[in-house]
Amino acid sequence: MPKHYRPAGKKKEGNAAKYITRSQALKQLQVNTKLFRKLCIYKGVFPREPKKKFRGNHQTYYHLKDVSFIRHDPILEDLRAKSAYRKKIIKAKAKRNKELADILKNRQPEIKLDRLVQERYPHFIDALRDLDDPLTLVHLFAALPASDRLKIEVKRVHNCRKLSHEWQAYISRTHKLRKVFISVKGVYYQAEVEGQKITWLTPHGMQQVLPDDDVVYDVLLSFLEFYETLLAFVNFKLYHSINVKYPPILDPQLEASAAELYALARYFDANSRPSEKVEATQEEESDLRLAQLQHQLPSNEPGALMQLVKDAADENEEDEDTKECKNLFKNMRFFLSREVPRESMLFVIPAFGGTVSWEGEGAPFSETDQSITHQIVDRPTQGHVYLSREYVQPQWVYDCVNTRIILPTDAYMVGSVPPPHLSPFVDNEEEGYVPDYAETIKRLKSAAKNEILPMPGMGKEDLDDPQNLLAEGYISRAEAIEAAERKQKMMTLEKQYHDELKMELDGFKYSSSVSDATKQKSGEDMETGEEPLPDVQQISTEDMSKLLMSRKKRGLYEAMKKGQERKKAHVDLLKQRKKKIEAAEKFKKN
Amino acid sequence: MRERKKSSAVEVSSVKKKKEKKTKDNNEPREQKEKEESQSIMKQQKNTTSRWKKEKQRKTTEDYESLRESELSGDEAHGTDRDVDNADDHHEEDQTDGSEGHRGVEESDSSEDEVAPRNTIGDVPLEWYKDEKHIGYDISGKKITKKERQDKLASFLANVDDSKSWRKIYDEYNDEEVELTKEEIRLVQRLLKGKAPHTDFDQYADYVDWFKYDDALHPLSNAPEPKRRFIPSKWESKKVVQYVRAIRKGLIKFDEPKEEEPKFYLLWGDDSSAAEKAKHLAYIPAPKPKLPGHEESYNPSLEYIPTQEELNSYQLMYEEDRPKFIPRRFTSLRSVPAYENAVKDSFERCMDLYLCPRVRKKRVNIDPETLKPKLPSRKDLKPYPVACYLEYKGHKGAVVSISTEASGQWFASGSTDGTVRIWEVESGRCLRVLEIGEAIQYVAWNPLPELPVLAVSVGQDVLILNTGLGNEEEQRRVKDLLHVETPTAPDDNMASIVSWLQHDKLDGIRLRHFKMVSSVEWHRRGDYLSTVMPAGESRAIFMHQLSKKLSHRIPFKLHGLPVSSVFHPTRSIFFVSTKKNIRVYDLLKQRLIKKLETGLKEVSSIAIHPAGDNLIVGSREGKLCWFDMDLSSKPYRVLKCHPKDITNVAFHRSYPLFASCSDDCTAYVFHGMVYSDLNQNPLIVPLEILRGHTSSNGRGVMDCKFHPRQPWLFTAGADSVIRLYCH
Repeated sequence: MPKHYRPAGKKKEGNAAKYITRSQALKQLQVNTKLFRKLCIYKGVFPREPKKKFRGNHQTYYHLKDVSFIRHDPILEDLRAKSAYRKKIIKAKAKRNKELADILKNRQPEIKLDRLVQERYPHFIDALRDLDDPLTLVHLFAALPASDRLKIEVKRVHNCRKLSHEWQAYISRTHKLRKVFISVKGVYYQAEVEGQKITWLTPHGMQQVLPDDDVVYDVLLSFLEFYETLLAFVNFKLYHSINVKYPPILDPQLEASAAELYALARYFDANSRPSEKVEATQEEESDLRLAQLQHQLPSNEPGALMQLVKDAADENEEDEDTKECKNLFKNMRFFLSREVPRESMLFVIPAFGGTVSWEGEGAPFSETDQSITHQIVDRPTQGHVYLSREYVQPQWVYDCVNTRIILPTDAYMVGSVPPPHLSPFVDNEEEGYVPDYAETIKRLKSAAKNEILPMPGMGKEDLDDPQNLLAEGYISRAEAIEAAERKQKMMTLEKQYHDELKMELDGFKYSSSVSDATKQKSGEDMETGEEPLPDVQQISTEDMSKLLMSRKKRGLYEAMKKGQERKKAHVDLLKQRKKKIEAAEKFKKN
Repeated sequence: MRERKKSSAVEVSSVKKKKEKKTKDNNEPREQKEKEESQSIMKQQKNTTSRWKKEKQRKTTEDYESLRESELSGDEAHGTDRDVDNADDHHEEDQTDGSEGHRGVEESDSSEDEVAPRNTIGDVPLEWYKDEKHIGYDISGKKITKKERQDKLASFLANVDDSKSWRKIYDEYNDEEVELTKEEIRLVQRLLKGKAPHTDFDQYADYVDWFKYDDALHPLSNAPEPKRRFIPSKWESKKVVQYVRAIRKGLIKFDEPKEEEPKFYLLWGDDSSAAEKAKHLAYIPAPKPKLPGHEESYNPSLEYIPTQEELNSYQLMYEEDRPKFIPRRFTSLRSVPAYENAVKDSFERCMDLYLCPRVRKKRVNIDPETLKPKLPSRKDLKPYPVACYLEYKGHKGAVVSISTEASGQWFASGSTDGTVRIWEVESGRCLRVLEIGEAIQYVAWNPLPELPVLAVSVGQDVLILNTGLGNEEEQRRVKDLLHVETPTAPDDNMASIVSWLQHDKLDGIRLRHFKMVSSVEWHRRGDYLSTVMPAGESRAIFMHQLSKKLSHRIPFKLHGLPVSSVFHPTRSIFFVSTKKNIRVYDLLKQRLIKKLETGLKEVSSIAIHPAGDNLIVGSREGKLCWFDMDLSSKPYRVLKCHPKDITNVAFHRSYPLFASCSDDCTAYVFHGMVYSDLNQNPLIVPLEILRGHTSSNGRGVMDCKFHPRQPWLFTAGADSVIRLYCH
């Protein structure tokens, strides 16, 4: 009798009892694949990996509890009812009973996902943690063209646009944006909300193509449906936290001129800060905004005092980071040229404390305004130039944001090729390769810091610690390395001396063991050094200790080594390319 | 079609009238009269229509037939004609007197109706006039004489000459030839085509309502207009009232635009309420997508852009191996196009989210070097063989086996060139060369220093040879020992398997076996030796006693092919290794003590630690197993060190060293410390890889042996060189 034989009627055990395959799950739930997919997406149920795949490797396994979790959810019945209802409409249409079909269409049952949102994310922080994908998808759909054939409705695209703007308005308003990166794929933003880093990607503002093959839009739309609900509730909560009514009501004129973000900002101003009235005059707020505030004041007067308190509390709550972000572009006024991606700029500049205007209807101030400090231009040449302001390429703004200092604008002049745009998400040290521009930025940064905070006790310490020196950017990298080496040598000598002393104290005769130890150490140092010498002896000893590892550990070790090697190969490739490029440049100069 | 409908309607009405007539008595004569009159009109109407039809039918048939068979006998044509006439007559009879007057109303298409037939005989067979000279009588009663019969030829010729003969028809009844006019021909042709005969006849003419009820004196129905036609429906008004009431009560609701409820609310009001534990399984958050690096920038540093050659090389790669993202560089933000894979990437992410199995995995973020076991420094474990000190050259074939003398001054080596050489260790001098003449399998020196005897296995023989070393007294003892008297056979079947013989040429004993002997091992006292014949099946292992010249078969059953056998260094225990397992027997009690499961595919060699509790096993797959026999029957440690077969393993007699040699031309030296404390596991540290041998015929190092006193290792190579590695 084979081992796996189980008499009829006996309960299953182990993995076979805990997990079921996908087709089994379909049978249990009595749904088709499409409905099951939808249920999985709504409920957030995913396959799990059993320790033993009792039905073979090619199957997808779901946990039995997950499946029963779906089965007991009322959404299953709702979806079934909906599909039954859809059949009624189809039938009415087939019988040319247009009237009935219309009536039925109007009375369609609506499926609400709020309960599912709460179930999946019992705490607000959970929802924030999982917000990356929803934001990315919603931003993508906000940029997609509506299509009847693919069932992408205009209504949904508009809703996505609305949600994305609401989110951006909140982030911008509360100065929670941290990093921006323009990639070929779109613009990555990273915000920090309640301690959670949320990263999302928005496509470039171009006409997007809808690929027909190998994309199933049903899946995307199912996800989108849930994400829309989730994001709306998250927005509600966030708006609630800053005492703004949700959903916001926007100025239709601004909305029409595609400046929803600005409209939202004005809405915020109008709603949340009526108490600013007194300060506003001092702060030289724009006349337009002031007018708006005064207009809004009467309706909000009863809560004004409360608002004041709240605002004060908010100010205290803000952490260092937020303050830094808030004051980056303080007292700077930007003007956007036509060709600059307006949506992104309208989002980023206010998020870092700047004021911004653009060419077009509803703009807060015009190009001729003398108080403009920076004009952002992305064209080969600029015709009329105001001397009072600086003309920069859009990349300047993003680089400033990522470095958190106001960079010199020379490199970003109109018509010039800007310096490389570096990803703020990369830890250069860990990656093992530091691009040149990262170095210069570091130096600039430390210079700026030094200007601001000349610390009295810092000077002496700096000289002691080359690492610190490097961070401060006083000395070049080579010097830092040299210093580090010198220091290490000193340390080893010192240590050896201490060891010897200790040995003598213990009563041992001075033997070679210490020197052995130091030798070994030096050997290890060589190993960990960047380029170990190809020593046969060394290799053999490495092999030796590998012999005694268990098979599992050896596999792990080898995998890690492989990963390290791959990384190193990548860095080497970059270095090699850079060398070639430099050589080519030199050749050109000569 | 329309006419037919009309007639049928009229018929129906007439039938109705008849019924009325039957049911009603003649109480009202005037009314009846009127009815009768109307009835008669109807009847007449019916008749006229039917007659018209009949006539038309008749005509068509007649014309058709006459056209087809011009020489048809007149009887038949007449017959049909007559029949029709009869039918007509019958109709005439049905008619009431008023019918004549209405005749004028009737329009007839037939020309025959106007011209009366000449002959008046009526409907009689023409046979009756066959023999007469006349064929009948005209209207005035005069006889119509038959015409002169033309003979057929003449008539034929006449027909041929006459161009109009095709339209002539002979009328038998009237006995005359009728010439069809052009109109008639046309009519016939139209009939043949299935059209209406007359060109001016419109088959689908608009219906002319000839009967006008309003002006008629007698209506078809005299029933008055019902009242319901003038009064609004009561039922309807009731229903309306019902609806009105229902609407007022609110039972019926109209489709009003639904009030928009606030869709969104504060879902996460206070988090304390949601603190209860979720009932379902733990949620595993999906891994976040990788954050973009410098290379994804729209304007990366130049070194991130692959060169043209690299791009070309990507094309040559398999599609799976190609990099998913190729960095590009744009000099300004305005020139960045839309990303073409935006939707696809999103879709793939979504698919991953709902289709990828999720597992919580602990990612170790450690330095790989920390995974390596902490070993004591090799320097502390000195001395051990490190470098090649001497090479012993002289053999012409691969050196298969070596053995060291107990004192450590000499060692012997056997080679495939058929010689056994005895070397001095320190000088490298070859002391003696024993020409055996056959490829040597194994050499083993007697462990007793005072008994310098060498066991050599050659083919089916095991030779026990005197090496000629030692002082005179020792030599004498050896000679005594190695003297075999005339072969005595205590047991017949034993003699057939093993026989003790005096070697002819060399000074020694020849032990003749029945199969190839692969290895020889001495007991520690130097009196016994065991031989292994892998092909010997149940009699594969023998034990020989040198002093008594006796051989014994070991009393244990072997499971599998035997590979080698070893004596325990201190106790009377015997190890036999088969290809998979190693069995440990107690020789005194004659029973199995232990079975060691190696888990290897094929064991090649074993060696025993001088303390006797530990055992190393080399295998053909390059694995070395260390067994601690007190610990378990499974290996304490398996070292995968050699990529090729391990040929031999060896323990040092006094130092904590062991070695393995392999066909990959290397020998490994390990530190193998066994502690007397049972709680402490043996310490195994790999020390050195000894290289230097070259491979020949795919074989590398064939044998390795430690020097009995010094931490030196001898290795015998297939390249016919023996090397000594010293510390």
